[in-house]
Amino acid sequence: MLNKGINYRLPRNLLFVFEMMALFLMFMYYRSTLDKSTIIYGLSLIFIVYVSNLILSKIVSGDNYLFLIVTMLASIGIIMIYRINHEQGIKQIIWISIGIVLFFVTYFVVKRFKGWENLFIYYLSASIFLFVATLILGKRFRGAVNWISIGGISFQPTEIIKILAILMIASYYTNYDKFKKKKWGNYYLIGIMYLFVFFLFIQRDLGSVLIFCSLFLALQYIYNENRKLVFANLVVLIFSGLLGFAIFPHVKIRFETWINPWKYIDTIGYQITQSLFAISEGGFFGTGLGLGHPDFIPEVSKDFIFSAICEEMGILAGIGVIMLFMILVYRGFKISINQKNKFFRIAALGISILFGIQSFIIFGGVINMIPLTGITIPFVSYGGSSMLSSFIALGILQVASEELDIEED
Amino acid sequence: MEKEIKRIIAVLIGICILFVSLVVYLTYFQVFRANAVRNNSYNKRLWINEEKILRGSIIDRNGRILAYSEYNGETYSRVYNYGNLYSHIIGYSYRDYGKSNLELHYNNVLLNISDSSALNELKNLVEPNSEGNTLKLTIDHHLQEYSRNLLKGKKGAIVAMNPSTGEIYAMVSLPDFNPVTLREEWSNIVEDEDSPLLNRAISGLYQPGSTFKVVTATALLENDVSLGEYKCTGTTIIDGYPLKDYDGKGHGTIDLEGALVYSCNPYFAEAGIELGIDKLSETAEKFMLNKEIPFDLPVKKSSFPNKGNIGKTDIAAASIGQGKVLVTPLNMALIASGIANKGDIMKPVLVKEVISKNGKVIDSFEAEVISRATDIFTANELKNMMVDVVNIGTGKNARIRNIRVAGKTGTAENPSGNDHAWFIGFAPAEDPKIAIAVILEEEGSTGGQKAAPIAKNIMVEALNTINN
Repeated sequence: MLNKGINYRLPRNLLFVFEMMALFLMFMYYRSTLDKSTIIYGLSLIFIVYVSNLILSKIVSGDNYLFLIVTMLASIGIIMIYRINHEQGIKQIIWISIGIVLFFVTYFVVKRFKGWENLFIYYLSASIFLFVATLILGKRFRGAVNWISIGGISFQPTEIIKILAILMIASYYTNYDKFKKKKWGNYYLIGIMYLFVFFLFIQRDLGSVLIFCSLFLALQYIYNENRKLVFANLVVLIFSGLLGFAIFPHVKIRFETWINPWKYIDTIGYQITQSLFAISEGGFFGTGLGLGHPDFIPEVSKDFIFSAICEEMGILAGIGVIMLFMILVYRGFKISINQKNKFFRIAALGISILFGIQSFIIFGGVINMIPLTGITIPFVSYGGSSMLSSFIALGILQVASEELDIEED
Repeated sequence: MEKEIKRIIAVLIGICILFVSLVVYLTYFQVFRANAVRNNSYNKRLWINEEKILRGSIIDRNGRILAYSEYNGETYSRVYNYGNLYSHIIGYSYRDYGKSNLELHYNNVLLNISDSSALNELKNLVEPNSEGNTLKLTIDHHLQEYSRNLLKGKKGAIVAMNPSTGEIYAMVSLPDFNPVTLREEWSNIVEDEDSPLLNRAISGLYQPGSTFKVVTATALLENDVSLGEYKCTGTTIIDGYPLKDYDGKGHGTIDLEGALVYSCNPYFAEAGIELGIDKLSETAEKFMLNKEIPFDLPVKKSSFPNKGNIGKTDIAAASIGQGKVLVTPLNMALIASGIANKGDIMKPVLVKEVISKNGKVIDSFEAEVISRATDIFTANELKNMMVDVVNIGTGKNARIRNIRVAGKTGTAENPSGNDHAWFIGFAPAEDPKIAIAVILEEEGSTGGQKAAPIAKNIMVEALNTINN
């Protein structure tokens, strides 16, 4: 390594160069208010990212591009968040560091222990427990009741339930033959799915409703042998979507704002129109870091971080972020196809679909291509729960990318 | 296993399509929509730049200052010198209530900024506190004030213009509002049933009534359709429906000229049916009905019915400017201008010049024909008939001593039950210097009685005070 000198064609070195340049740009912009600790935080982020990538390439036998893509996404996010709000930016660096640690912990734990596919009932009961806890302890935030606060630390249980749900579906289909023999065994998963969607709906978390529905439907499409059931399920979902539109004003209002946000520019259309202003202001190349006004968008560092990226880095950078997600999803699917262990094959699929659908829903939402539902972009948006759960999911995907012993059956 | 992989790939393709559609939509948005979105007056970024720039003044054709900005320590604020008088022309520009009218549509010119905002930011770094351009209007402040005073207390609109250049001298719409006290009165203004924010001159759609007979007469002359010596009894039956004259008395034996002079409904109704809807609509469209009128402010499209199932009664109604014919007062002023200007309709203009901060004229309007409504011979013939309307017919109240005035009155029935009173015309007939359209909305009186005197006074004032 040392003999060869620094090879700039190595992706992790390219990432290093990108981060150094972005950081330099930002420090130049804020040079009047810069203090020592910020520089230390910035440099330590680059150090952590570089070292993690280096360690990963030494110790894992699987796909080491996954982590690289994700750290690139996280770097873009952190630069944008720091530029909007220094305090949040520094917190985000801490969240990412914890996330990376959790990633390694997840990786080792999942790899070390066997029998993950037999814990169906535990995944299920943990999910339901979290849902019920949210119902009882939940705090209303931005219209949705999906936060709980324990001992001063607040988090979003839905973020953990997403992973539990994927593991649950994976173990269900791994043991599909056993379940099928039971009475109604074929309907277990559908029943559970409707229960989950019901919980999410009363939390008013429409974005998560969409994510869970897509996740269940996609995996059901691939693995369920009863094709009529898959089709019937799809019809029922579309029908209940229309019903929800007709009955619930908060669903209807999202559609109306989507169709013509300008009509409600002072009220419910305020966020989305501010987001469209930001994107249109940026053009293809952006206003330049620090030269735009993404701070005009409410909640910009969470749901609307993509609009901020488009404003200051241009939609070319925005398209770059979309492409990074596309590559991440593509690699996830590739991992799944190559994986011989059925449980990890399905888990890899579920995690890839989760990353793909979740990012699509929020990208599409903030550019007003689809109705807006408030969810975060994995790895990019500000927020602890989302960041940590995304890194845990990535850890599982990392395990799935390796050749595992086929379980004797 | 084989089936499983196939399905996995299908899902992958589905997700990839979603991602690609994002990229396509984002590009589409940036290329086709972004410009319009960016210039929305709710975009606070525009304001950020603006507060560092001295917004240009707005002056009338004689250099009188109508609106300007002044510096008060930190930011600039807008001053409107004449309250209500220019509410529908200049509008307002406030951070919290946005912008309207010229303040909105000439925002970039007033601020002297180009479309690219990245460039603006750079410019502000290099040259802070820069200055915008001044707008010189075609409006004559004296005539504008004079016209508004004549209309005071009524609902309606006045458009007075130069028929050969298209310059608008006065454009009044009542009720209006005061931009100076907009903040305090906002809720009253938006909730007022008489909609003071609406510029009736360009956004109000009205039945033109008999003033539209000018258009029908043009079509009849051009197509050589004539009823010969027509015997008017005051009523005619069309498809079983009686169609009456305004007073129902009958005009005796008349020709086309007599029919226009005395505003004979049965003549125009029957002649219109003989002419047919296609020919009539062709001429109407040359007079800018069903057409977008290019202007410095957005103009509502006037409409003439020529689609779908059109029966005889519909043609009869259309021929006398009733039924589904709807026009803006600006459009009617253009119709009068077209006859005055040898058949050519000029593009109406509100902004005469754009003057840079150094006093240099960087943009000035050019007179432009937007439609050849008719030929010079037909225009002449019509002009003579319209002179007779004022001299011996329904428009006597518009007569001016020593000057030949051409005009046409209109009394338009409408759903409110109270007729609109119309007058369109121009003067002097041999070398028209001013063309005018006046409408008194739901006045409940005839155009000859109420609208013609107002039009006369404005024409006299314009001929006495405006020197081109």
